[in-house]
Amino acid sequence: MIAELANGFLSLAHPVTFLYLVGGFLLGLIFGAIPGLTATLAIALLLPFTFGMAVSDALVMVAGIYMAGIYSGSITGITLNIPGAPSGAITTIEGNALMKKGEGMQALGMSALSSSIGGLIGTVVLITLAQPISSIALLFQTPDKFSLVLLAVVTVTIVSSGSLLKATTAMAIGLMISTVGMDPMAPVGRFDFGSYHLIEGVNLLPAVIGLFAVCEMIAQSGMSAKLGQVERLANVQKPRRKDFIPHRERIREVGLFNYIKSSVIGVVIGMLPGGGASMASFIAYAEAKRSAKKPEKFGNGSYEGLAASESSNNAMCGGAVIPLLTMGIPGDAVTAIIFGVLLIHGLVPGPALLGENFGVIAPMFAALFVASIFVFLSVLAFGPLYLRLSQINRGFLYAFIGLISMVGVYASSFSIFQMWMALAIGVLAFLMRTFGYPVVPALMGIILGPFFEEFLRRSLIVSKGDPTIFLQSPASLVLLILTGIFIWLLRIRPARQAKRQEGGVPS
Amino acid sequence: MTRSLNGQVLFAFALLALNTIYASQIFQMERPFASGEPGPAFLPMLLCGFVYIAMIRILLTEWRAEPAARPAVMQSDVIPKLQLVGPVGAIALIALFIIGFFYAGYVVAASLYTFTIAFFFNHEQNADWKRALVLGVVTSVVITSFGWLFFVKLFDLYLPMWEF
Repeated sequence: MIAELANGFLSLAHPVTFLYLVGGFLLGLIFGAIPGLTATLAIALLLPFTFGMAVSDALVMVAGIYMAGIYSGSITGITLNIPGAPSGAITTIEGNALMKKGEGMQALGMSALSSSIGGLIGTVVLITLAQPISSIALLFQTPDKFSLVLLAVVTVTIVSSGSLLKATTAMAIGLMISTVGMDPMAPVGRFDFGSYHLIEGVNLLPAVIGLFAVCEMIAQSGMSAKLGQVERLANVQKPRRKDFIPHRERIREVGLFNYIKSSVIGVVIGMLPGGGASMASFIAYAEAKRSAKKPEKFGNGSYEGLAASESSNNAMCGGAVIPLLTMGIPGDAVTAIIFGVLLIHGLVPGPALLGENFGVIAPMFAALFVASIFVFLSVLAFGPLYLRLSQINRGFLYAFIGLISMVGVYASSFSIFQMWMALAIGVLAFLMRTFGYPVVPALMGIILGPFFEEFLRRSLIVSKGDPTIFLQSPASLVLLILTGIFIWLLRIRPARQAKRQEGGVPS
Repeated sequence: MTRSLNGQVLFAFALLALNTIYASQIFQMERPFASGEPGPAFLPMLLCGFVYIAMIRILLTEWRAEPAARPAVMQSDVIPKLQLVGPVGAIALIALFIIGFFYAGYVVAASLYTFTIAFFFNHEQNADWKRALVLGVVTSVVITSFGWLFFVKLFDLYLPMWEF
């Protein structure tokens, strides 16, 4: 195995294979950074082209897209407050707050460093512990999976700033949107109002475009350029490449333990089917906030929060590949497409794959490792370019976002209806934002809704409607207790403390 | 606007209306656990009930709250009532783009769409319509061409063209 792995790394030294890696990495960087275009879309578009490629080269290119696409979702999140991909949503909260404080370069640098560390840890775990860890993940029963999704849903809601009731309502709206279309367990259409368009449900891409790109464009059109100028005053500074290297005190502020803990969370969640980068980043962020020395900085520009989110979502890449390669279970949309790449080349993902074809898969492991290093190098190479995203002409910027995102929706589905859907969700998101309903819980509701419902219903079918099934499995019980602890630590205790302080202040 | 009918209240009523439309579909499904299983209506029913309760609580909170001072909004020197005109215009423009994209095709719709966005933002920023016009045309040509090269030439995707 070690010899085959070494050969995998050596194969990257071949100019053509290396070019595929760099090409895939740059493609992932562009697709991840442009709101509305995702790594999933990039790999999906690449799929037909892999027919003419050697399987190892195709997997190397896919690995480059995957790692870069997950990372670069944070770039426009930090600079423009529009995450390029759903996995960058949490990073956006902290990163854009830092950007407004004039710490955009450090935020971008920290994001890249954390992503690199997460990616490296995820890949090392993938290489060394693939089979034993995936067998543990497979022990998760349906009630355990439901409790995990519930933990993610509750976490996202309680970490939102502002009214808890409004955040919960936003989450419920997201879950409601996810119920539109075919029922996940029975061949019945729901909430389709007789329209064949609605039968297919609300696709993730128009939902993401609507919630972020369309909503942002509508919101910006109502803001005076004077406001933007005020926000940008803090950023007037000529960027130098070394400014993107995170300062030692910032790295100390985050702490080595935080990087490792968040990466491990990312790997574990990546391994669970239905996990994915968004859930990994939300849970790692919530855990970082719970254990933070200064939790009050979260939401206002916290390096700890930003690093936790970014380490975990890139560590997820390695984790998600584990069940795919060892058991044939894709962990997210990207690994589902990688499944397709393998099938196209006659390889069936499953327990026999690594045993019989490790030599073919090894370059992909090596590519994930090298692409993780590329992530940090990319911010040094293109950092000044990223930063200028916030200084370019507003007219050009929003015309670009407005066109590419809407045409991107069309290109992903060839459906004019999905463009209308993106607009409708964008208008709803704009109104929600205007009236203090956070948008991110709604997005998580849309993403996690199908899993939430399926795991809930399957569990209740098994238990014949008895909800105590969620308390009978040890893993589920632990996750539910963890959910309760999170609610206590992140909402109830701070609210009580605030009330006590209010009561203590003499009138 | 009075406290009993401010934006928060109107939005809560709009969500209540949408929730009611959603709820109307639940009654067309089988009742949860009617056949011993939760069924397709189970989660929607829970969500619907929650949103009704949440909206009522939000409305009560809003009606009981002391009237808050309206936050100062930075006004535009060029476009009056920008915070209303801008979003309404943007929504209308995106809707027109989708219609134009379908009927007139990518090139025409994308050119006009990007030109209008660029003209609007540049005019609002500089109050100079001639400069905004030039920037609008340049932006329109550059972005429309980029989109064409990116989607059609690079990825060989189909985009509609003059399909009356």
